[in-house]
Amino acid sequence: MKGKCYIQGMAAISPQPTFEGDIFQAPLVHTDSNLLACIEPDYKPFIPGNSLRRMTRTLKMGLTAALKCIQDSGISTPGPIITGTGKGSLQDTEKFIKEIVEYKETALNPTPFIQSTYNSVNGLIALQQKCTAYNNTFVHRGFSFENALLDSIMMIQEGASHTLTGAFEEITKEHFYIKSRIGCWKSTSVNSQEVYQHLSPGTIAGEGATFFTLTGAATPQSYAAISGFRMLYKPSEEKLATALRDFSEGADLIICGRNGDSNHEHYYEVLDACFPGVPQLPFKHLCGEYDTAGAFGLWLGARILRAQQLPASWFPMQEQLTAPVHSILFYNHFFGEQHVMLRLERV
Amino acid sequence: MEELKKKLKEQIIEALNLQDTKPEDIDDNAPLFGEGLGLDSIDSLELMVLLERQYHIKVEDPREGRKILQSVQSMAEFITSKQPA
Repeated sequence: MKGKCYIQGMAAISPQPTFEGDIFQAPLVHTDSNLLACIEPDYKPFIPGNSLRRMTRTLKMGLTAALKCIQDSGISTPGPIITGTGKGSLQDTEKFIKEIVEYKETALNPTPFIQSTYNSVNGLIALQQKCTAYNNTFVHRGFSFENALLDSIMMIQEGASHTLTGAFEEITKEHFYIKSRIGCWKSTSVNSQEVYQHLSPGTIAGEGATFFTLTGAATPQSYAAISGFRMLYKPSEEKLATALRDFSEGADLIICGRNGDSNHEHYYEVLDACFPGVPQLPFKHLCGEYDTAGAFGLWLGARILRAQQLPASWFPMQEQLTAPVHSILFYNHFFGEQHVMLRLERV
Repeated sequence: MEELKKKLKEQIIEALNLQDTKPEDIDDNAPLFGEGLGLDSIDSLELMVLLERQYHIKVEDPREGRKILQSVQSMAEFITSKQPA
């Protein structure tokens, strides 16, 4: 990766109390339903009532996280808006498909159809912020957020002063059921805080909306710098190990996407072998598994880097930091297919 | 006609998810778009769907639609005119 980009502002709506308050004092939210659902904030301070009435969950979460991120960055109007989502608004998609069947392809409501398109959140942000710059949504399964990030980094390298970059995903009952049929989730009820001890096929489901304002120059407010980035599709263990070793320089801490899924645990064993003795923080017990969970991991890493402490209740398995963390290696994969490595540095 | 207007108001509130509005807040003759309820073009499409689903009336001509959807009163009159005597 040429140069660096900096996280100037960020916001996350997740199954943990991440949207407001101090995450370093926050309790750990856990569930034994195999599904970690988001804690939704009060949307009214962010979205006018007349717009709110029409929006489904993902749209509200995505738009609100984006607006909070813009506030956090101190930038008045975003430039390019670049997002990633694996599934977009599932609630709207499901409603639209059900109505096609129920009303035999006649008398279909326009709203679920419009909002089921993946770029709805981007459109809403642009409309609300009166932003006419570049606007793009990437829909590439487990690489959705990462392609949005790659596009943003390239925009910054080409001279954009900042980008609004984010990801959003929701889980619905229907989608949870469909994915349980193909073995994505654990077949027995597992407490989310103990997911790593239950090594068996499948994991726990999750969702979230996470946004970042990325800039080309550091400021005293910057959370962290992104200085390394690599994506690998279905790598062999050898190829993965080679790629991970390229990120080995100076890593004080690893944030990884371990999720208790025995089908794909061997990739994390490659990570263990490449970085013996480097402390690891898995994050899927906080947010669950979803296409764009990597955005939550990046948010967590940036918070830890700036604060130089861990949210104690979230990581009872890990002692507090005893030495400064200068560099974090982030590694995540989505059901063994899309693998991502990021290097985060303290600013 | 009064019963129809009351039912129509309830259906509009439900279809458009007008959370803070009650049927009695909607004046029979107040414009639905712009002022009044402040509805927009997507809402007009939703109301067309409402007429089709609830009353089996399909509005083909958009110019006609504009007149029909002026107010609850105009919608009720249109529905009544389409119902068999």
